[in-house]
Amino acid sequence: MHYLIQAFGHAFSIIFSLDPVLLRIILLSLKVSGWALIISTVLGLPLGAVIALKRMRAKGLMISVMNTMMGLPPVVVGLFLYLVLSRSGPMGFMGLLYTPGAMIAAQTVLALPIVAALSHSAIVNVDPIISQAARTLGATQFQTTVTVVREARYGIMSALIAGFGRVMAEVGAILIVGGNIAGYTRVMTTTIALETDKGNFELALALGIVLLFISMIINLALYMMQKKGDRWRLS
Amino acid sequence: MRFKTLVLIIAILSVSFVTVSPAISVSAETRIRCASTTSTQNSGLFDYILPIFKKQTGITVDVVAVGTGAAIEIGKRGDADVVFVHARQLELKAVKEGYFVNRHDVMYNDFVIIGPPGDPAGIKGLKSAAVAFKKIAEGGYTFVSRGDRSGTNIKELAIWKKAGVNPKDRKWYLEVGQGMEKTERIASEKRAYTLTDRGTWLATMDKDRLDMAILLQGDPALFNQYGVMAVNPARHKHVKYKEAMKFVNWLISKKGQKIIASYKRKGEELFFPDAK
Amino acid sequence: MALVLKIEDLWKAYPGSDVLRGCNVSFDRRGVYVLTGPNGSGKSTFLRLCALLEEPDRGNINYLNDGLSLGKDIALKRRITLVLPKAGIFNSSVFGNMAYGLKVRGVKKSEIAERVDRCLESFGLADKRKQNALTLSSGEGQRLSMARAMVTEPEMLFLDEPTASVDHKNSSFIEELIFRMKEREGPTVVMTTHDVAQAGRLADDQLTIRQGRIIPLRRPGK
Repeated sequence: MHYLIQAFGHAFSIIFSLDPVLLRIILLSLKVSGWALIISTVLGLPLGAVIALKRMRAKGLMISVMNTMMGLPPVVVGLFLYLVLSRSGPMGFMGLLYTPGAMIAAQTVLALPIVAALSHSAIVNVDPIISQAARTLGATQFQTTVTVVREARYGIMSALIAGFGRVMAEVGAILIVGGNIAGYTRVMTTTIALETDKGNFELALALGIVLLFISMIINLALYMMQKKGDRWRLS
Repeated sequence: MRFKTLVLIIAILSVSFVTVSPAISVSAETRIRCASTTSTQNSGLFDYILPIFKKQTGITVDVVAVGTGAAIEIGKRGDADVVFVHARQLELKAVKEGYFVNRHDVMYNDFVIIGPPGDPAGIKGLKSAAVAFKKIAEGGYTFVSRGDRSGTNIKELAIWKKAGVNPKDRKWYLEVGQGMEKTERIASEKRAYTLTDRGTWLATMDKDRLDMAILLQGDPALFNQYGVMAVNPARHKHVKYKEAMKFVNWLISKKGQKIIASYKRKGEELFFPDAK
Repeated sequence: MALVLKIEDLWKAYPGSDVLRGCNVSFDRRGVYVLTGPNGSGKSTFLRLCALLEEPDRGNINYLNDGLSLGKDIALKRRITLVLPKAGIFNSSVFGNMAYGLKVRGVKKSEIAERVDRCLESFGLADKRKQNALTLSSGEGQRLSMARAMVTEPEMLFLDEPTASVDHKNSSFIEELIFRMKEREGPTVVMTTHDVAQAGRLADDQLTIRQGRIIPLRRPGK
């Protein structure tokens, strides 16, 4: 029990001491996961929308593939990307292995199916009357799609939060492709894993608490933006 | 939420990530990548010597710490510039195969057998690690193995071979597939024996509150040689061979060797320089 | 001359039932056409085909302007509109719903505000401007649904059971609106209803669907 109390104390001292090493680790976590989320959104949201709204063959297959990819073990993603990005692999010329870029790529692979699949289900669940109403009011095909996607915005926001949650908490893939290099590719989760390995349980747990804390702030911020966005819209 | 708002948020986030980001704008400085072992990293040696090396040469060494087997593999694939491990036979083999050049002994420490202070197998006072292993096997006392193809694991398997015991699939033999420190902790929890390097042991015995003691040491078979080697630039054109060799030469130089010797934990020297 | 719709030999079937079997009709005069008929006779399907929401199995839907046939592109679709029986209100403010049709047409912001406000006033929804449209009562919802169609100033307006699910007060309001459209040289209105009395009150032309065909009933005053 005293471990936990110490860890909480430690967590607060980390947050308020603004130790530059830890700050850098936290910022890198946010940067890597943030970029992964942005890329996943730019690719995954249109993908989910297209699968939801376009008539196409093999739709069921695509949905199944997406849902399966949601459960990809991060270690497998990491290993696969390692082999692809390795100097001896097909994309080795990019020199991306053991850089933050490789970590962003790995987390994108993990977040993309979540963003796509959950956006897809949010969009599918929009009442078809909405797209008909849009069309009767003179919307083009594209404008109709945008309208339907917009009607699904709460579900899409949940999809983004779920995707961000997965990548922020992920350790297996980025450990392999990032290498957990101090001051360069070390993020919160890999630090937690390392400190656990090294037996610094309090520090590891404290970092875990900080991670939780940051996730909560981000989720709250997203929630507030959603609320605020709606208020703007209504004015 | 409005789409415009969402786009705006994404734009703000992107800009802040790029500008606040500490790590992406570092390509200008010289960095080399060193594949090494968890035991070396966890001993704290790198945290001690690398800042000194950087001060003297301006080169940042990024350490990727994995098991010895993986470290050599990473080097073979050209994903590191230099490899710093402790499995002499494997290293020499990889050099012979042409993957690496300029291998040098850097330092050594030694392995010790640790176990419950009560020593149920009665190996205390023995001179030979192989005899001790045999006694553990005959009594069926629990033994925890790294089981991860690390340098320590390779050493351990060599001792089993010498003892004439095949421990695989025996009930008392636990292959945990974890790093050295975790393996020690598991052994401590299970009142079991295990093989560890002295550096990790000294660094962790108090911190992890290990209820263990050194029961056998000093057998020449427990000698643990660390070596460094550069990835062969003829094989991988992109490697930073020049900088890698600076690091290798620094490690085996008088200056470097002295710094390695000066690294102490609890007043004890962890690594003994022995470059020729 | 106004926009004219000529329909020739229109067929549409859904799995299990033929709904329309060779409809022929022209909507070539300003005024109110009322289509009656029992439930399931194909009234809604007919309107959806006219409004180009669906494709017919066979037959022609011809929009003509000054005798010239028009392509079924977005420009034409923006001259006609269909008010659906289920409101299909967007999850945004009343203003947002009203502005939608103008926004997609690229109308300037200041003009949108002006036209929307004028229209909200005449539909008695001005005080609900900022309210979330999903919180309106069903009668208000139906009014909004018509208002956001009317604000786009359509030349041909299809109304599918505009008073089916609203109370008496809102029903009278909507009837009043349709009357006013006639007086002001508004759009050609094609509406369906199952309320025969209402049909009599509103119609310039009454039609009905029998066995998948459209049959004219009478021409009041002629």
